[in-house]
Parts: sequence; C-alpha cells; structure tokens
Amino acid sequence: MDIVLQQLVNGLTLGSVYGLIAIGYTMVYGIIGMINFAHGDVYMVSAYITAIAIALLTFFGIESFPIIIIGTLFLTVAVTGAYGWVIERIAYRPLRNSSRLSVLISAIGMSLILQNYVQLSQGANQQGVPTLLTGAIRFSVGDGFVQITYMKLMILLISLLGMGILTYVIQKTKLGRMCRATQQDRKMASILGIDTDKVISTVFVIGAMMAALAGVLITLDYGAFDFYVGFIIGIKAFTAAVLGGIGSLPGAMLGGLILGLSEALFAGLISSDYKDVFSFSLLVLILIIRPSGLLGKPEVEKV
Amino acid sequence: MSNMVIRKTFISLAVAGAVTMAQAEVVIGVAGPHTGAYAAFGEQMWKGAEKAAADLNAAGGINGEMIKLVKADDACEPKQAVSIANRLVDSDGALAVVGHFCSSSSIPASRIYEEGGVLMVTPASTNPALTEQGLPNVFRICGRDDQQGDVAASYIVDELNAKRVAVLHDKDTYGKGLADAMKATLNAYGVKEVLYEGLTRGEKDFNAVVTKIRSVDADVVYFGGLHSEAGPLVRQLREQGSKALFISGDGIVSDEFVSVAGSPAYVEGVMMTFGAPPSSYPSGKKVISEFRASGYEPEGYTLYSYTAMQIVAEALSKNDLDPMAGAEWLQSNSINTVMGKKDFDEKGDLTVSDYVMYEWDDKGKYHQIN
Amino acid sequence: MSQAAGVNFKKSTIDALIAGFLALILFGPIVGVLLDGYQFNFETDRVAWMVAIVAIGRFAISSFFQTEKGIAMSFRYANSNDGATVLAPGHKSKMVWIIPLVIVIGLLIPFIASKYVLTVVILGLIYVLLGLGLNIVVGLAGLLDLGFVGFYAIGAYGLALGYENLGLGFWSMLPIAAILAAVAGAILGFPVLRMHGDYLAIVTLGFGEIIRLVLTNWASFTHGPNGISAPLPTLFGLEFKRRSRDGETFHEFFNLPYDSAYKYMFIYLVLFAVVWAVLFIKHRLVKMPIGRAWEALREDEIACRSLGLNHVLVKLSAFMLGASTGGLAGVFFATYQGFINPSSFTFFESALILAIVVLGGMGSTLGVVIAAFFLTVLPEMLREFAEYRVLMFGILMVVMMIWKPRGIVRVTRTGFAPKQGAVK
Repeated sequence: MDIVLQQLVNGLTLGSVYGLIAIGYTMVYGIIGMINFAHGDVYMVSAYITAIAIALLTFFGIESFPIIIIGTLFLTVAVTGAYGWVIERIAYRPLRNSSRLSVLISAIGMSLILQNYVQLSQGANQQGVPTLLTGAIRFSVGDGFVQITYMKLMILLISLLGMGILTYVIQKTKLGRMCRATQQDRKMASILGIDTDKVISTVFVIGAMMAALAGVLITLDYGAFDFYVGFIIGIKAFTAAVLGGIGSLPGAMLGGLILGLSEALFAGLISSDYKDVFSFSLLVLILIIRPSGLLGKPEVEKV
Repeated sequence: MSNMVIRKTFISLAVAGAVTMAQAEVVIGVAGPHTGAYAAFGEQMWKGAEKAAADLNAAGGINGEMIKLVKADDACEPKQAVSIANRLVDSDGALAVVGHFCSSSSIPASRIYEEGGVLMVTPASTNPALTEQGLPNVFRICGRDDQQGDVAASYIVDELNAKRVAVLHDKDTYGKGLADAMKATLNAYGVKEVLYEGLTRGEKDFNAVVTKIRSVDADVVYFGGLHSEAGPLVRQLREQGSKALFISGDGIVSDEFVSVAGSPAYVEGVMMTFGAPPSSYPSGKKVISEFRASGYEPEGYTLYSYTAMQIVAEALSKNDLDPMAGAEWLQSNSINTVMGKKDFDEKGDLTVSDYVMYEWDDKGKYHQIN
Repeated sequence: MSQAAGVNFKKSTIDALIAGFLALILFGPIVGVLLDGYQFNFETDRVAWMVAIVAIGRFAISSFFQTEKGIAMSFRYANSNDGATVLAPGHKSKMVWIIPLVIVIGLLIPFIASKYVLTVVILGLIYVLLGLGLNIVVGLAGLLDLGFVGFYAIGAYGLALGYENLGLGFWSMLPIAAILAAVAGAILGFPVLRMHGDYLAIVTLGFGEIIRLVLTNWASFTHGPNGISAPLPTLFGLEFKRRSRDGETFHEFFNLPYDSAYKYMFIYLVLFAVVWAVLFIKHRLVKMPIGRAWEALREDEIACRSLGLNHVLVKLSAFMLGASTGGLAGVFFATYQGFINPSSFTFFESALILAIVVLGGMGSTLGVVIAAFFLTVLPEMLREFAEYRVLMFGILMVVMMIWKPRGIVRVTRTGFAPKQGAVK
C-alpha cells in the first residue's frame, strides 16, 4: 500500500511537470498548427539559465532560500521567454505562409542549433545545481512509509499556481481573448483588428515561460542536466499534449498527469524496461478510441 | 594506383605546409564522440591524446617522425563510426587509431581498421564482444566488463555479505554489459538478485524505480551506467529515505558525479570499481601534475587515452611504422606506460585486470578501499 | 514605392541596437557565464563578440531590406503560391538525355572514387531509398509519418536476425525484409488511418519508438544494445571476405589481390540498381490510378470518399509501399555496416528522412534524390568545422527552409489536352 501511494506521488510530480511543458506544445499547435520540435530544447536552455542564476545569486552573497528561488524563477522565466520570442521571429515567422511541414523541418533545425549552441558555449559535460532545499515529510502507512520531499511539494504547488495563472489569463483577460480568437480563425481575427503576428509571438513567449517554470523546478529537484536533456522530456511532453487533445489547455495538463502517473505506476509495479512502450501503447489506444485526444474537439471537416 | 600516389603526395604536401616541417609525419586518429550526447568523454580522450602526442613529439616523435593527430568525430553513432573509420584509413592515411569510445562504434569500426591494416587501441570500449571478434589489430587498455563485474560481485558477496542485491543498468552497451557480468558472477556465488531493471538514458526521474528498490528491501544497489544517471539515481534513493549501499563501475569516475548528485552528502559511501589509481605510478604522477598545471583536471578516460597513445607509439616505433607488425609485437611484449606496465593477450585484452574498489567520502572525493 | 527605396540609416541603427540588446539578454547568461561545478567564470569577451556580430549583422540586413532588391525579396515571402507547375501538353522532358548520363556516371563512380567517397555515396543512396519510401507516404499520400525509422529498423534487423536464426543470406532477405516491413506497415496503418494529420504523426512516432525500445529491451532475441552482426552480400555464392570458411572468395575466384573496396563496389552496384528500379516503379505508379488516388486523397479526402474511393485501401497501399522501401534500405544499411544496434534507429533518423522529403519538395522524386545526397554528404563535408559541424547543419536546415520553403524542386506535371477529332 505504501509503495502504491509513493508511486502515485512520484507520478503526480512528474506529470505536473510534463503538463507545464506540454502547454507550450499545445498552445503553439492550437494557434498555428505546428509541432514545435525545438520546445524541448527551450526547456533545456532554461535549465542552464537556472543553474547560472543560482550561481550568480550565491556569488552576490544571497543566502536565503526564498530570495534565491524567486530571483531564479524571475530571471529564468524572463530570459527563456526572450528565447521563445527570438526563435519564433527567426525560424518560424518567415515561414508563416508556407506548408506546415516546412516549419516542422525548420523547428528540427532550430532544435539542433540550440543543442549545439549550448554545448559549444557551456561544454558537453554534465552540470548540476547544489541542493538548496532538503528535508521531507514522512507519513507512516501500514508497515511502510511514504516520503515526500519539500521540493516535490513545491513542484506541485508552483506548477498548479502556474497553470492557474495561465488559465486565468487565457479565459479572462483581453490578451487571452485575442489568443482564443486567433486560434479559432486567424484570418477573421486579423480582419477584426487583432495583430495576429503579435499574438503568435506572445503564445511562443508564454510557452517558453511555462517550459522555463518546469525547467527551474526540475533542475532544482533532480539537480542534474546536460545539453541533451530536452530531447526525451520534449517527446514525453508532446505525447502528453496529444494524449489530452492537442490544442486544448486543460487537455495538456490532464495529459501530463495521466502520462506521469501511468509511467510511475507501470515502472513501479511491472517493469521499468517497458515503461515507455507502455506509455506509447496507451497513447495509441486512447487515440484509436478518441481520435482527437481526451479533451480535444473533434475536427469538423468542411467541404 | 596513381590515384593513391597523388593523394598521398597531396596529404604530405598539406601536412608539410601546415606544420612547416620538412619531416615525414605519422598520422594517428583520435576517434570518439566529439559532438553529441557523449561529447564530454570525447573531450577527455582528445585532451589525453593531445598531451601524449605533444610529449612524444617533444621527445623526438616516433623514430624521428612527428605525430599528427586527426580528430575523428563519430558522435557514438555506428553509422558515423563507419564513415569516419573509412576516412581515417583512406583519406587521412592514419597508421593507428586511439578510439573509439562507445563499444557500439568500436565494433563496426574495428573491422574497417583490420581491412585497412590499421592498429586500433581503445581507451574505453569495455564490451567483451569487441575483442572476441578475433581481429589481430584490436587492443584495449581498459578492462573488460566481465572482469570489472567479477571484482564488484566478489566484493559484494565476500566483504559485504549482502544477500539482497538490486541490479540496475542504463540499457546501453556499457552499462548493461557491466550489470550482466556482475549479475552472472553474483549468481555463480549463489546469490540471486532481488531486482533487475533497466533505466532510460537521458531521463532524470528515477523515482518510480527507487520506490521499487525500497519495496524489495535491497541492501545493495548495483548500477551499470554512467554518472549522468547515477547522480540523480543515488540522490533520489536518499531522498526517499533508502539506506541501501550504492555500487557502480568506472562509468561514474568523474568529479561531475558529485555536482550532478547535488551535494557530496548524497555520494558519501558510494562505491565503485576502477583501475588502480594512475597516481600510484611515478610517471603517472608527473603527467597528472602537468595536466593540473595547465588548468585541466585529468579525469575519467584522459589518462587511458594518454596511455593508448603511448602504446601506439611504442608499437609503431619498434616495428618500423608497420601497424600490423606492431599489433603482432604487442601481443608478446609489455610496455611501460603512465599507468604502469601493460601486457596484452592474443585477443588484445590486458592480461592483468587491475580493478579495485573505491569509496566516495563526504567531501566528494574517492579513495581506494584497502 | 520604388522611389522610396533609399536606405534610412536611422531605422537600421535602431534595429541594430534592439537586436544587440536582445542578443545581450540571450547570450549574456549562456555564453557569458561559464558554469564550472557550482561555481562559474565570466567570459565577457565572448558575449561582446557575439553581441557585436548580431548588431552589425542586423544593421546590414535591415539596410539591405530597404533597398529595392530587398523589398522585392520580402515580397517573395509574403505571397504563397502552392501547387505544381503545369507544363504544356506534349512537353518532352529533358530527362531523356540526363538519365542515361547519370547512369553512366553512377556506374563509373565505384571505379574512380576512393573507398571513403564510395562509402559516403552508398550512405547517400541508402537515404535516397528512405526518402523515396517516405515520399510516397508524406509527399504523395499526405500522411505525416514521424516513425519511418521503424521500417528501416525492421529491414536491418530482418537481415541480421534472419541470418543468425534461419541462415538466410542477403539475397533471400532482400525481398523478405521488404515484405516484412510492408506487413508491419499494414499492421500499423490499419488502426491509425482514422486519425488526422498530426495525431497520425505522433502515433507513428510512438510506433518508431516502440520498435526501437523493443529492440533494446528484448535482449535474448535481438542482443539488445550490444548489437548484432549482419552478413555481406555474395555474388553467386562468392564471398567478399579475405578468407572464406566454405568455398572460394571473390578475389580468389578472379585471381585478384584482396581489396576491401570490392565489397563496397559490389554493394554500391546492387544498391544503384535497386534505387533505379524503385525510381522506375514509383515513376509509373504515380501515373497509374493508385498514384492519382494518393494525390487526390491528399488534396481532399471528403471529395474522394464521396466519389467512391476506398480511402482505407488507398492509404494502406501508400503506407505499405513506403514501408517496404524503408525495409529495403534497412537491408542495405545492415550489410554495408556489417553491424547494427538500436542506436542507429532513433527519432532523429526519422526527422532526417522527413527533412529529405520536405527539403526535396514534397512529392518530387528528383528533389528527394538531391536532398538525400545534400543531407548525407553535407555532414561529411562539414567535418572541416569539427565541433561546429552539427551547429552548421542545423543552421543550414533552417536557412534552406526559409530560402526555399517548398523544397528544392517544384513538382511539375505535364498538361493534358483531349485529342482533337476524337468526338465527332
């Protein structure tokens, strides 16, 4: 029993992080119908900025944990957002009117550029951040126990907060309305006076910021990263986005949670060798039953 | 045929132009992952080979000919390894190769070197299959996975008296080979592992596996893999409150292991198998201090690569720069290197495996266990 | 507008300043602060260089786009004109002359090129095969497949495992692997054909990953990450080895000195013939009803279905044909390499093949051939850049896409005019 509970906790934290990164995929897809393959690498860049921010802040003599974490979050989210904007401007905007596959290839090229740019400037070695927050809560369950580190609690809390703020922005603000209008019909939105190019840029920035949030949290929790770390997590997050119904914001969060939980439970209770096989099979299965993902709207085909 | 002559002339012209030296040169390839996910190891290999070549050239080169290194990047992809091996043999005219790093690159490349008559000494490919192919030109100066696994298994059984051992690996040639070898010896001692699982390289979240280790109540966790996964794994193990002893192989020999794990507190008590320390040899000490003086910490495979270079140079110089004669000569002669005296058997493996156990302390340094 | 084409340097300067400032934000942390364990070193001059380069570059670009030429260029990007170029009816293709020339040159390559060049060309041809296969699926039928590498793996492992377990050699496995891959394509294709564009993409991506993971994990059968040897092709039973355990080898039979290049020459010639065969078959298929159906389905599925086209069968045939071509390529890859392991079949490989198809110009055969060589030979040529190689490759990918978003070669189609006097 304690083991199953512990696996649930593992799955929830992993899943909430997948959800944060999946938001970037799902929003970009929703608005310009493009799979942004460089998104995983944006996350990777944010991991580096996290470590640099922590190193800089400690260098300037800041010791207290809350200030470090807030400073790191602020710096990382800001700089990574700038990366999102610039990537869109350079690699995707010139291709706005061409086929979606051209943009896909451009994104794959961008992903290679980001990986190698970081490798060349920071070296290929494994990097780490010091452990800033230690300690854990321990519950006794039956004979065993469930142990949740404070860091894990923080991950759950901050990612929930991030998703909450984003949902508010999309649902209630003018910016969110513009995003939704552009998503529904880009041409119509531009006729109605919405600067769609600006909206698309904003979406990329928001996606990058969410990835940065995940980047800070994961980097603080696992401590380890290298320039290649964006690839696997990018594919997982993309899977989560599709699972939940690509283009749907709550879908991305739900997809992330389902993926995280299924991975943890399968690896923990059956075999970690085939855990990825299981995740992908689950995806195929769900898509066969619901071809547009869990919360995705079925595509209406117009003649 | 004239094509060959022209090409050779062109190469020597280019070489002469580049180095402004009228002498002939010996081209030696340093093949490894200079880009890609394993580029950190490629850098270690290059630094070691570069320094060895500089030292050898300063001492007069090989039979008076200067060594010219060629950086050959395979990114640890078999596809690129084959291309680059053909390029080294064909276009660069290399006589010998130090490399490759990944066993999966070394195996296909070794056949091309054999066909081309090129001597190959790998500092890092530990998979037994490499030398089991029966190629006369292939040597390695690292141990084999099975030797390393033996040392770890007998330590676990004889010294630690552990009964509940969990075996993990990273599903890669090196890590799985190591874990399998360890498991085989363990089973031969009559200890059955309580868990045998593979992780995915490149992931950082191993909480699910860690919880599973807790559920089987393991005393010892043996991990076949590299520090990039071992760091987060040991950290998550401790964070979930497990006290199991963590043992691994030479894949975690790097100061980065500590920084990746997050704090020296997490790696304290971690054990590993690794070759006897190079600093125990007088010549090794000198090279290490020179490396440090130049601002580079010779970790992991740096000295292995340096040693490989020395062996290549020795084999070539004793046999009039004939690589295949050098290969035959190596099988019956011993060579003094910065890592002690090395002897090879007819397969190309070291006759004496010098694996010993090390332990990490609370300051993030490792020491040999006496 | 042409008289307003004078360069406004103030605007350029402002652009350059903004770009420089952005570059400072972007490069400042990553380039300027070099992590060293938990400490770091400042590398301010690196940042200064990069910011300067970006600012100057932006100034130049900004100025250029204010000139007449630049304005003309930016208009080119603003318009999109999709579709094929239609040639006049009765147009005679120049290909009649080019094809024999290419064949002759192609046949001469193994005898004049060095072994290294030959191996690069072989790799290029393997990617031509892969590109042609994926081109049927993506370019013609419009099904986005991100797991094409799975079929490639099936072909390669088919050869290696077939040889190990059943004693089947190169020649018997060549057709069997193609059939195996086609069957796998059908098994995958059947359930997923309901899905639309990008859902299909992720499912196929998952399929490719599943194959790779199974190859890695099922160690008792596939030898897992350790990989497995693959046999060389034989010429009527003659082997291309230095020594043969049974029977004569090629060089002994013909009384030639041993040279490992013979092996590559032979693989090259067989591969060359197969590529031409595939090219020919594809060329005919496109003009046949099935090829027309693929393209029609790509353009408008609903219309096709209401016209009574069996969309499942059409899609499935595209999937299977593409897969079998991928399987063929896998067999050649395994025999050329002599050794395979799962690390050759990662997602990146699928992406590369997709890049070949898109860069070549979706649906264009000639474009695929050019792009395949471009993308396989390029990394070898970029070796001079050493560690900047992959970075350059990525930059070229983005630049190529921006420069030619519809690929190198546009699809052309010969127009059709009804015969005069047919209807009286």
